[in-house]
Amino acid sequence: MMIRNSAILIILFSFTFSTGFVGGERNYAEKKMVRIPGGNFTPFFRLPNSQPIHLKPFLMDETAVTNQEFLEFVKANPQWRRSRVNRLFADSNYLKYWESDLSVGEKNKVLYNSPVVYVSWFAARAYAKWRGKRLPSVAEWEMAGEARPLNTKYKKLTDLILAWYQKPNPKVLPPVKSTYKNAYGLYDMHGLVWEWTFDFNSFIKSGDSRANTQDELQLFCASSSLYVKDKDDYASFLRYSYRGSLKGNFCIGNLGFRCAKDLK
Amino acid sequence: MKAKSLRIFSLSAIVLAALAIQTGCKQGNGNQDYDLSKIDTVVTGTVTAELTDAPNVPKPLTYTSPKRVMVKLDVIEKVMNISDSSQYTFWTFGGHVPGKFIRVRQGDLVDFTLYNHPDSKLTHNIDLHAVTGPGGGAEASSTAPGQSTHFQFRALVPGLFIYHCATAPVPLHIANGMYGMILVEPQSGMPKVDKEYYVMQGDFYTKGKFDAPGLQDFDEEKALAENPDYVLFNGKVRSLVGKGALTAKVGQTVRLYVGNGGPNMVSSFHVIGEIFDKVYQEGGSEVNRGVQTTLIPSGGASIVDMKMEVPGTFVLVDHSIFRAFNKGAIGQLKVSGKEDPSIFKPIKN
Repeated sequence: MMIRNSAILIILFSFTFSTGFVGGERNYAEKKMVRIPGGNFTPFFRLPNSQPIHLKPFLMDETAVTNQEFLEFVKANPQWRRSRVNRLFADSNYLKYWESDLSVGEKNKVLYNSPVVYVSWFAARAYAKWRGKRLPSVAEWEMAGEARPLNTKYKKLTDLILAWYQKPNPKVLPPVKSTYKNAYGLYDMHGLVWEWTFDFNSFIKSGDSRANTQDELQLFCASSSLYVKDKDDYASFLRYSYRGSLKGNFCIGNLGFRCAKDLK
Repeated sequence: MKAKSLRIFSLSAIVLAALAIQTGCKQGNGNQDYDLSKIDTVVTGTVTAELTDAPNVPKPLTYTSPKRVMVKLDVIEKVMNISDSSQYTFWTFGGHVPGKFIRVRQGDLVDFTLYNHPDSKLTHNIDLHAVTGPGGGAEASSTAPGQSTHFQFRALVPGLFIYHCATAPVPLHIANGMYGMILVEPQSGMPKVDKEYYVMQGDFYTKGKFDAPGLQDFDEEKALAENPDYVLFNGKVRSLVGKGALTAKVGQTVRLYVGNGGPNMVSSFHVIGEIFDKVYQEGGSEVNRGVQTTLIPSGGASIVDMKMEVPGTFVLVDHSIFRAFNKGAIGQLKVSGKEDPSIFKPIKN
């Protein structure tokens, strides 16, 4: 019995190892991941009888995935090159600022270490899988993003977020680690780009904040602001509305992603 | 006792009879536009709507049967001056506050596209109060940056309507300037006037005080307390003053399409030195005459007509007068032409 168990373990181990090996190209320095403690997460939108969601501890990329990192993925996975990608999985804006299929471009040199944007949910999910990771859920992302900011002039996280939301996109997207670090050790959770989540549109189905169909009746504005965690939290409203307007093949200039992973 | 009740009875009879006559007259006077079963809805041909920035209004419509009307609005987030020294990040329908003026005719089939500029930070949508349908179009128009959405509606009811963004949190989108107006001309037409202008009021909440230097962030606390730093016509302090003043000549009739985007304040709209000859109350069909100040609800509108009898500068204000004096709710209508001492003359001692 013992022997059989160890055999299974060995098989499992070698499987994990090989996945890791396929994922890591030779020049890929393993991206630092940060441990996010689990706990009970209260969703922003909730019904009167909703229970908090229990989250297990997990790992999360310290920063958003950069252009350089995404380039390695595209090189290794020809079906995700700009010229070959299936339109069902990425719209015509996919990686549109890259110089070519396999080059971010000399003129975009300043962007090598900036978050990759104009990537679809399908592409982000494929990337995560290739790295042996996954996309974080909305609950995981929100819990990780709620942590206290460490190096910023803003007293309240909400003020930092609202100030960012109100500024038009910068002409040149700054590199990762250029905004702030939070108490978990995550960089730029707010203030650099929006980020894909695995279940991005499961909280809001309609973009209308006052939707009036039966299943959404309790979720939205007039009737609905009664059913949010904090109706003065305008930053969260903006973020959830944004997610709610997305489709899986959308590629947008201020939308990137980072990966998560289960703790073994 | 008996005599008294008889008197009351006969009085009520007279009042009722008078009312009946009045209603009868009204039905022969444009109100067939409100019998929606009788309006013409057979569409012939397609036109592209003329869209204008305030204070300009699209030319009166010349077609007399329903059309398919193509309307495309672009959502643009941009930093503009809110006063001489202060800047603010406005979210706009078409690059200005208020948004583009849309003019259609009752019975038209409006083919509406909302395009959110790729440089936008946020998702936006549109709720047009002229729409009969879920969310006024908002449900069908939730639009991520760089995307567009498309829906169609029948302009059923004539009147002056506002539109606004209804993406959560709605108050913030409105507070940042996301509103404009759509006029639905009745099938029986609107009386011609000499000049038409577009004026829209809105209130703004900034971290800094009125005219504080630099780029100002939105102040949520002031907005919740309904305590604006700015109450403005057409999105900027002095947008309708000096070079921006509205103009007319003596003898002309001026029509103002006045809206109020809010998000909080109700406007007591008044033009100093004039009396509105006609007010289409709340932008609907009911015409009141000889009005000094008309109330414009947040999320509502009004049409006012006035014939300019004498020259001079006539001042547009929100007569909740601290707003005009201290918060920017002031504009000018400059009228040139010959004095008429029989109407007004200053007397020197």
